[in-house]
Amino acid sequence: MSKTVVIGALGPTLDRPAGPDRWHKWRPSVAICQQQDLVVDRYVLLTQKNFHKLTNQLVGDLQSVSPETSIEVLETEMSDVWDFQEVYGTLFDIARDLKLDPKDRNLVHITTGSHVMQICLFLLTESRHFPAKLLQTSPALRKNQGPEGSYQIIDLELARYDQLASRFEQQALDDISFLKSGIPTRNPAFNQLIARIEQVAIRSTEPILLMGPTGAGKSQLARRIYDLAVHRRGMTGEFVEVNCATLQGQAAMSALFGHKKGAYTGASADRPGLLRAANKGMLFLDEIGELGLDEQAMLLRAVEEKVFYPLGADTPVKSNFQLICGTNRDLQTQVDSGEFREDLLTRIHLWTFVLPGLAERKEDIEPNLEYELNQIAQRTGKRVRFNREASKAFLDFALDPDARWRGNFRDLNAAVTRMATLATEGRITEEGVNDEIQRLQQHWGSRKAEAAPTAEKLLGTEKLQNLDLFDRLQLEGVLTVCQNCRSLAEAGRRLFDVSRQNKQTQNDSDRIRKYLAKFGLSWDDVK
Amino acid sequence: MNNQQNNNGPIDIDGSQGEGGGQILRTSLSLSMITGRTVRLTRIRAGRKKPGLLRQHLAAVRAAKDLCAAQVEGDRPGSEALTFTPGPVGHGDFRVVIGTAGSTTLVLQTVLPAMLTAPGPSTIHVLGGTHNPMSPPIEFLQLSFLPLLKRMGAEVSVELIRPGFYPAGGGELRMTVQPCDKLQPLELKHRGGVKRRRVRAVVAGLSESIARREIKEVHRHLEIREEDEEIVSMTNSISPGNVLQLMFESAEVTEVFTAFGQLGVTSQQVARDVCKQAQKYLAADVPVGRFLADQLLLPLALAGRGRFRTLRPSGHTLTNIQVIERFLPVSFRLEKLGDGMVDILVEPDEGHLR
Repeated sequence: MSKTVVIGALGPTLDRPAGPDRWHKWRPSVAICQQQDLVVDRYVLLTQKNFHKLTNQLVGDLQSVSPETSIEVLETEMSDVWDFQEVYGTLFDIARDLKLDPKDRNLVHITTGSHVMQICLFLLTESRHFPAKLLQTSPALRKNQGPEGSYQIIDLELARYDQLASRFEQQALDDISFLKSGIPTRNPAFNQLIARIEQVAIRSTEPILLMGPTGAGKSQLARRIYDLAVHRRGMTGEFVEVNCATLQGQAAMSALFGHKKGAYTGASADRPGLLRAANKGMLFLDEIGELGLDEQAMLLRAVEEKVFYPLGADTPVKSNFQLICGTNRDLQTQVDSGEFREDLLTRIHLWTFVLPGLAERKEDIEPNLEYELNQIAQRTGKRVRFNREASKAFLDFALDPDARWRGNFRDLNAAVTRMATLATEGRITEEGVNDEIQRLQQHWGSRKAEAAPTAEKLLGTEKLQNLDLFDRLQLEGVLTVCQNCRSLAEAGRRLFDVSRQNKQTQNDSDRIRKYLAKFGLSWDDVK
Repeated sequence: MNNQQNNNGPIDIDGSQGEGGGQILRTSLSLSMITGRTVRLTRIRAGRKKPGLLRQHLAAVRAAKDLCAAQVEGDRPGSEALTFTPGPVGHGDFRVVIGTAGSTTLVLQTVLPAMLTAPGPSTIHVLGGTHNPMSPPIEFLQLSFLPLLKRMGAEVSVELIRPGFYPAGGGELRMTVQPCDKLQPLELKHRGGVKRRRVRAVVAGLSESIARREIKEVHRHLEIREEDEEIVSMTNSISPGNVLQLMFESAEVTEVFTAFGQLGVTSQQVARDVCKQAQKYLAADVPVGRFLADQLLLPLALAGRGRFRTLRPSGHTLTNIQVIERFLPVSFRLEKLGDGMVDILVEPDEGHLR
């Protein structure tokens, strides 16, 4: 039969009462063994130096109220029970050395000890370093209850404690993220990029430009830069975010720069505008390439001189904000075609960072998965986890070269949200993962179908109509493969996958280049 | 009455019936050992705040298991189902520890009847609480119950080695039992005059003035001679405790009433509490009080015959009767006598022997 094992710290204050009267007092470490419906087989009592007398009293009293319990006193070497690092390290070592049998009913008592000890005990239980449930004791609530009070066992693995778990979790996360600032990403290039961004964010108030495909996390990163500025530079203003693609015509001007009452039909009251809302804070303009030329001019002035005129206003308004811009388009190309002001680009691309898509940093999928689950737990108060097989199945799929992650983190976020929503009892199963894989494949497939008339886009309808169906189909296929490859060489390897094996020298790239040239296309056109 | 369907098969007992879930368990264990029949208890203490087996119950199960090398399923804290398949009752030296100041006397009560049927004498040490408001104190066994058992032919003695008061426990009792082939029937019809009234106030780790105050208060309610007052100061207790007892010796029986000193209860209240119990007993011409009635049911049923007069039985007593009738070929009868008095009769149940 499995044993009941308690691991608990001596409480120098709560366990303190001495003399005959101590039996009428609630002493949590003793109360555990006074419960009518709890038999403790083994009790590991964590003590500290200088508490010999109290330890001896506790051990004697425990033996008296619970002769069936074998008591082990473990003297810890902590010099400061309020030092997070020292306490965590000590308890971590204890968890490792105790080698608790997960098949036993192990209970970690979190009512006694310093708060830091309690937090560390929780963390080590949550992380399964102690394969245990939490044990909480409480004093008698009513007069006719005995001095032993009551107790509660909290199984963090159980769905009904999800809410509790997620609350604890949140607190723990706050601590950890304070030290590690966010997701423990593994991709070295990305980590380097983030390190550089942090340096800039802490030191500079100049504009920052974030480039990268949609869903690469520009918006989240912008917010993180803001949070960092708040923490490290004492930025006091708000984070104001707008997607320029949603700003059209006169409404765009008004939304950004505000207007005076009566500035135009329908302007029935003063509107401060987003630039003013971002005063002393940060303004994040996503998809800056979608901004109209007039707005670009106004924005440039506002960035350079920190003043601008709201619509219909005679006097300029001051706003001092840091600008972050996001784009998934090549702004230089837009400058060339006259869609983007060169002076504005020069002004905003002082600090330009290119965020890689998810497919280029697949080693970060796993930590991001964990992050997404935590986010869901915080948002909904419900903790959802993958079971082991499900986690493996999903990662296998996610890391496969064929997984395209076209929507990048947006896809990952959506996938996790769907799986978590459909999970029963807080568990994502292999079945749930397989369903999601199908959904993602369909989704990416359908994007492919949408993008299918690539040949039409590149060649124009007229040219295409002069081709046989045979050639049209072949071209469409080749173009689709090329678009999914990062380099000409990769496209060559995939398109000539059989014939290249029989050749001594490979000229696959050349063959594709020539094939494309037949239709007047180059590799750059295709990408 | 509805006796057992089959004379060898397991006996199913609903542990939630009537009152006294713990008593149902103890009686079932005792009779399972004596009859050699498997007992299956279900819904043990169902619907209680802490349902299922508690530690003191598990201690009784463990003691019974040791005594007859039983096979047991479901002996876990909180378990609401228990199957107990006894082996032959053994004898010799036994030792049981109970935590949480759980009552040692209840464990003795569980094993005693079976020890009488063992092939040789037994001694059992029980460690735990000896004075617990929820169970009869050792003095009740020594002065009231065991002398009656002796009249039925059983040689049993109980000694207090060390007191153990709630909530610390840490006490120890020793019981020695000589085997007894067949208990003799017992009749207790009249109490007759009370020959001697005694008061005994026990303090451990507390001032004797508490005991004196209690006795002083008792004098306001009952007449007791000065030489029958006793103050006992125990020094070998690990925790403080206070007990006030009244003993009434009549021609055939001694009754013991007990009240416990508690934090927040004055000595006067403790005294009034025990006097109230005693006055109820004295007001009726019955030899057997309620607690003693509970204890006598099983020995009388084992003897196969007997009767005693007592106060109107508690739900606890009635439940106990139902359980006994499931195991033994006897039937109980209650004869109401008015004034809250009842005769409880035990007779062989002919139907049961078919």
